[in-house]
Formats: sequence, structure tokens, C-alpha cells
Amino acid sequence: MDKKIIITLIISLVLINFDKVRALQPDEILKNQQQEQRAREISKIIRCMVCQNQSIDDSNAPLARDLRILIREKIKQGEKNKEIYKFLTDRYGDFILLKPPLKLSTLVLWFSPFLFFILGIFVLLNHNKKSKKFI
Amino acid sequence: MKKQVLKIPFILFILTLIIFFYLLVIDRNPSKIPSALLNNSIPKFETDSLLKNKKFYSPEEFGNEIIIVNFFATWCKPCRDEHAYIKKFSSEKKIKVIGINYKDNPEKARDWLKKLGNPYSSIAIDKKGKIAIDWGVYGIPETFIVNSNGIIKYRHVGAITKSIYKKLNLIIIENN
Repeated sequence: MDKKIIITLIISLVLINFDKVRALQPDEILKNQQQEQRAREISKIIRCMVCQNQSIDDSNAPLARDLRILIREKIKQGEKNKEIYKFLTDRYGDFILLKPPLKLSTLVLWFSPFLFFILGIFVLLNHNKKSKKFI
Repeated sequence: MKKQVLKIPFILFILTLIIFFYLLVIDRNPSKIPSALLNNSIPKFETDSLLKNKKFYSPEEFGNEIIIVNFFATWCKPCRDEHAYIKKFSSEKKIKVIGINYKDNPEKARDWLKKLGNPYSSIAIDKKGKIAIDWGVYGIPETFIVNSNGIIKYRHVGAITKSIYKKLNLIIIENN
């Protein structure tokens, strides 16, 4: 492979990762590693309400930073993950969770792929039976 | 019967297409999310007041009347654009408007209000954006309509335009 392409690829990969690291500022990081780990895990599944397609862990938006700090404050105060999620969904709705919860209102979202899959198999089997008749 | 079963995927495909085009054509902005606080009580908070020499304590400021709550900042261009409509609410419609000055320089905010006029009955300072998070705010300017029982009835994200001003007036009449 051409040297230039390899160098460009390496630089791009470094830049992609650099961007991800940059969102979390050094002053936000907790001293307690376990608590920091928990904060990162929570931040990864909280949607940035400004960017909407990024988690607050990846986002550079000021609101994402505010929420990252808030989550860390709540962890330091001894709040459980569930309590933190509740705090956020009470204010921003389920939309703030990147993974929608299983609820009556989200049943279609969760189960329609399975329904379509079963329907597809059903149609395929029927079609095959019909084709065999002709053979 | 079997022939009818084979039609199902085709019908589903057409239905999906219709839904897709319907959502594409109707006037909606999918990035605007309805407030999770709709039909809930306003969050209680205490902070500094921008114009008064006393604390801003929300239960004291929100009385038994319909109130508009407007999150604004001097660094936010759309806030300047909508300011004329916020003034109209207080001067023409005689509606109490409470301002929440979001992550701003208080000095600049006071100058801004001197220059453009002050439609707010009182202004709370949200220095770190925590009050905004309690209200589920994600992009200022944001405007809330709170009824006389302190229940949030509507939230508008973005600047108030002529059409939004008319819409807000109708919502106020409905909730008055």
C-alpha cells in the first residue's frame, strides 16, 4: 500500500480517538477510580440533548459537560445508578436514554423486528411450498 | 388463502412508505422534544436575583396567575430576536414574565436589559445551568407557560416568532 495512504489512515485513527478523549475534561474526572468508572458507564448511555446522536460521554456540548459533572456529583453523594437515571428521565424524558426502556409504549419498537422476522419466515415457507408444487 | 398471505409483506411495505412520507410532509421538527415536565409542577429553586437585592425564591415569585418563564442570555442571538415578543407579552397582554438568566455575565445582562427594555417582573440567575437542567432545558431560548396552579402547560424551544407568538397567546387563553 502507498505510504501516504498508511500515514493518512494512522493520523485519521489518532484524530478520531483524540476527539473522543477530548470531550471529558481533566477537571471533571473523579479521584476515586471506581466512581469514575461508574460515571463513564452512565455517561455512555445518556444522550446529549443538543447533538442527539451522541452520548454525553462523547459530546463537547456545554450541556453534556454540565450533565457529566452532575452525574459525578450524584455518584459522590452516594446515589445509585437507578436514582440518577430517574433524575434525568424525570426532567428530559426517556429520550435522554440512548437505549429506550421496555414499556407498554415501546412494545412495538422492541418486538416489531421479531414479528417481521417471523412473518418473513412464514411467507418464505409458503412460497417454497408453492414452488415445489410446480416442480 | 395462501395468495392472501403473500400479499401481507407488500401491504406492510406500502404502509411503511405512507407513514414515512406522512412524517416527511407534516410540519414537525423531530429534534424538538416535548417537555417531560408538561402537566407537572414547576421545580422549586432558590438563587440570586439579577435586579433585586434579595434572593429569588421560586414559591414567592410564582403567584396565582398564569406566568411565562423565559430562559435567556445576552450571548444568545435568538434571545435578542425574540425579545420584542417577550416585551409584547408583558406590555400588551399584561402577562407576568419571569426571566431566568442562563450562564451569563450579570453586568452584561443588566446593560442588555437597559438597552432593549426589561419585560421581566423578576429575573433569577442560573450561573451554572443547574436550574435549566431542573426544567429540562436543552437549548436556550426556551419559554414555558405555567398556569395559575403552578403547572407547566407548554414549552417552546427556540426563539419566539410571529406565528409562535400567536400560538402562545392561544395557549395562554386556553389556560387562563
